[in-house]
Amino acid sequence: MTIQATPGLDATLSPARDPISETGRTLAELLAYRRCQYDATGCYAGITHPHVLNDDPVRAELFHSRLLAALIAGRETTRMVSASPFVREVAELAIGIYTPEGDNIAQSPGIQVHIRCMGEVIQWMIEHDYEHEVGIDPGDLFWCNDPTVAGMHPADVYDIMPVFWQGELVAWVCTVIMEMDIGAVSPGCMPIANVERATDGMRFVAEKVGTNDELRHDIELKIKNSLDMADIFLLDRKGAIAANIRVRQEICRIIDEFGLDFFKEAGRELIEEERRNQIARIRQRTVPGRYRNVVPLEFYMADQPVSWLPARKDHIRLVPVEMRIERDGALVLDFEGAGEWGWHPFNATPSGMWGGLAFSAVQTLAYDGRANLGSLLPLDLRLPTGSVLNPEDVRPLATASIWAPVIDVFSLWCGMVANSYYMRGFREEMFTYRGGSGLQMAGYDQYGTRRPLLAAPTGNFGAGATGVCDGLDAGGALITAEVDLGNTEIWECFMPYLDLGRRFEPYSVGWGRFRSGASIPTTAMLHRSTETIAAGVVGGAAEYILPNLGLGGGYPGGRRFNVVLRNTDIAELIERRAPLYHELGHPASPEFERIDGEILRLHHMPPPMEVNDHDILIASVGSPGGYGDPLERDLEALRIDLEEGLADPEIAENIYGALAELDPSRNEWEVDVERTEDLRAARRRERLARAVPVEDWWRRTRERLVDGDIDAMLLEMYQSSMKMSEAFTSEFKQFWALPDAWTGGVQ
Amino acid sequence: MAVSKDDLRDLFAGTLAWDKTKEIISGPKDDDRFEAVLELLQEQVRWPERILLPLREHLYIVESGGSRIVKCDCGHEFGDWRRNWKMSAAIIARDDIASMEEIYPGLRRPDPNLCEIREFICPGCGVLLDVESVPVGYPVVFDALPDIDVFYDDWLGRPLEDHQDCEDRTAEIISKWAKPLL
Ligand SMILES: [Zn+2]
Repeated sequence: MTIQATPGLDATLSPARDPISETGRTLAELLAYRRCQYDATGCYAGITHPHVLNDDPVRAELFHSRLLAALIAGRETTRMVSASPFVREVAELAIGIYTPEGDNIAQSPGIQVHIRCMGEVIQWMIEHDYEHEVGIDPGDLFWCNDPTVAGMHPADVYDIMPVFWQGELVAWVCTVIMEMDIGAVSPGCMPIANVERATDGMRFVAEKVGTNDELRHDIELKIKNSLDMADIFLLDRKGAIAANIRVRQEICRIIDEFGLDFFKEAGRELIEEERRNQIARIRQRTVPGRYRNVVPLEFYMADQPVSWLPARKDHIRLVPVEMRIERDGALVLDFEGAGEWGWHPFNATPSGMWGGLAFSAVQTLAYDGRANLGSLLPLDLRLPTGSVLNPEDVRPLATASIWAPVIDVFSLWCGMVANSYYMRGFREEMFTYRGGSGLQMAGYDQYGTRRPLLAAPTGNFGAGATGVCDGLDAGGALITAEVDLGNTEIWECFMPYLDLGRRFEPYSVGWGRFRSGASIPTTAMLHRSTETIAAGVVGGAAEYILPNLGLGGGYPGGRRFNVVLRNTDIAELIERRAPLYHELGHPASPEFERIDGEILRLHHMPPPMEVNDHDILIASVGSPGGYGDPLERDLEALRIDLEEGLADPEIAENIYGALAELDPSRNEWEVDVERTEDLRAARRRERLARAVPVEDWWRRTRERLVDGDIDAMLLEMYQSSMKMSEAFTSEFKQFWALPDAWTGGVQ
Repeated sequence: MAVSKDDLRDLFAGTLAWDKTKEIISGPKDDDRFEAVLELLQEQVRWPERILLPLREHLYIVESGGSRIVKCDCGHEFGDWRRNWKMSAAIIARDDIASMEEIYPGLRRPDPNLCEIREFICPGCGVLLDVESVPVGYPVVFDALPDIDVFYDDWLGRPLEDHQDCEDRTAEIISKWAKPLL
């Protein structure tokens, strides 16, 4: 990560003088100085010889534990105060302590996305001279949820408070909470029919909203007039303020006990120590070199009821990903060839991309509880300006789903690092996850209250296989690794629906010698609703093109899908006490086809539609990747899958080349080992008979490209990347030996 | 935490008891893992060439007569490590509904107009080495081009006898294939 010196700031302080030990320096001067120190030495805050932590390791450990304990206590405080299932069940919150210049020192568990983003907000405030123009005083409260400043989407609200000690600003405390309602266009807080900033909902641009630890009365009234779920929003803020105050008090106690100089120096050394540790981890667990993958992002906007008419078109953007692990342990992610930005809420931003890298790198590499800004310093992102990952000007755009491209990119990134772990021998560290999607609703609930919200039964998708075992069933939520959402019924209190089923879906799995975890579809029946609409919620923009998440010969999990059943005979079935619809069954002849009514098969970006009581919303995610050739799956593992309903005889035979039968006398599954061995040998022979040399396939595909005989959306997608990058163009044309003038028929 | 060779073998086979597996997953990572794995794999393969780097399931980068090549544990050789081994594999390209339904039935099937499922298979033994799911027309992905000499020189501190530039040479294969077209 490069830290750029900010033009216009005084960066000329003599490095011989350490301004943080002097009072009277402005934050802007301090920030500029830190950036210079990093540029000059490559060490955080110029700490070339860390000594405070090393001199007395026991004291250092105590110091860090105290910080972490304060953060965890603060986070739990919020969960007690808040009424939102996002906080109480999904645990989509986190708290961090920052240096005066906005660099993260320590972070609670939780949604580790915001480790850097929240610091960016502080630095934005410093760069815009809040010190003089707005004022930063003890007890001040600032809100930011504007992704043009920093962050992942407006639903993530940051509560930011300075920490003073004897008149000197010594730290910041920031809490992030994801909100269900942010006043966006219906439905939910991540709406799809949403391309301009106004429909994104309320945005606080790092605004001072409170003094003396109290929210301003006029801001409270503004919230009450602007949000349907103002109570939930304000309770979340109370929780965040309580947490911030608790952490602030603990910081003051720590300073009292350890001394101010120790607090400052040790805090900075924690960042530098973590930077060094992260490099050490990369050098210990990976192999230097070049790693590649590709992410397609599908945007279906043609039928969206948006008033910005140029947005109404379906298109796909390509994001090639190249990771380079350098000699010195630096890790660079280069997105050369990423296609252009567009009018939809799914453009990423540099801040959002860093957020994605933050949680992915922390949860898979820097997971020892000491993650902070230092975890990210050895990493770098190259994001082409004007691309879907980095539009020139984000301000006119809706930003509700920056999350979607981010999660698609970094779930694949995990697979790329996994290939490196394999080479180094750490197969147990291999891991992938995957973006989900689902249906969100808005309307009047069973109590007559207007609900614009997003239902988030996350924690329902399986984890990718590792190189040594199957992925956890329903355990793939790397984003908030603590979430289990055992209490999924809580959503029934907030939305007018009843859950009809909660069964693992065997066909969601990514096949392999080790399989991915299985996922659980959402099956929601509308109940006592009024004027309700359903639409999509997007956490990942791959749909008809499966994400390339298979490892070592394993397959990616199947396509996710959304289905809506309307005008059904469910009411009559309930009346007759006949069986309802509870599980998907076989994906080629799904159980819901038994239900009388209209069946709408939707992609991940369905436009809003009206739904009524007894209509059923089904959202089924696909799991990430399996690992290794499925024909090598252990037969006992397969037998257990059969016993547990995580495979059926068809999967056993078609995918795993294994013959299994239910022994009715014992009601147990049995795999015929001998016949299975024969079948597997035959399958390998069949493969070889059916496969062709890659050269033949290359000629055939090349001809299709020359003739423009592939889908028009794909041709336009390639064209967009070619417009963005000469390097992409020349490599693409070289690979297919295409003439220079080739455009695939696109003008 | 050092892991014994027996435990490593069982770990990779998926047969190590869960309590031990969990301990390895959660414990501090062992600094000599690479050497231990290399030793184990060298014992397991049935050919004599020296393994420089395990590349992925079944594939190794080995030293063979002064050159570095990709080799399957069945003995099949894929050529220079700097040329994407997939170009020398056999392929089943699932690019229509019927062939996709074999793996992804019904609602789970991707769209063959947009997506291609490429299965790369070892011509020697028929094992499935990689599944690639990409937009139709996307070049074959070169998953990993490890910088072997930087790894041995700088990271392991025991340089190999000769050095080879780490550069993508897949284009050499393409130009051979493209020759009749010109
Ligand atoms: Zn082979």
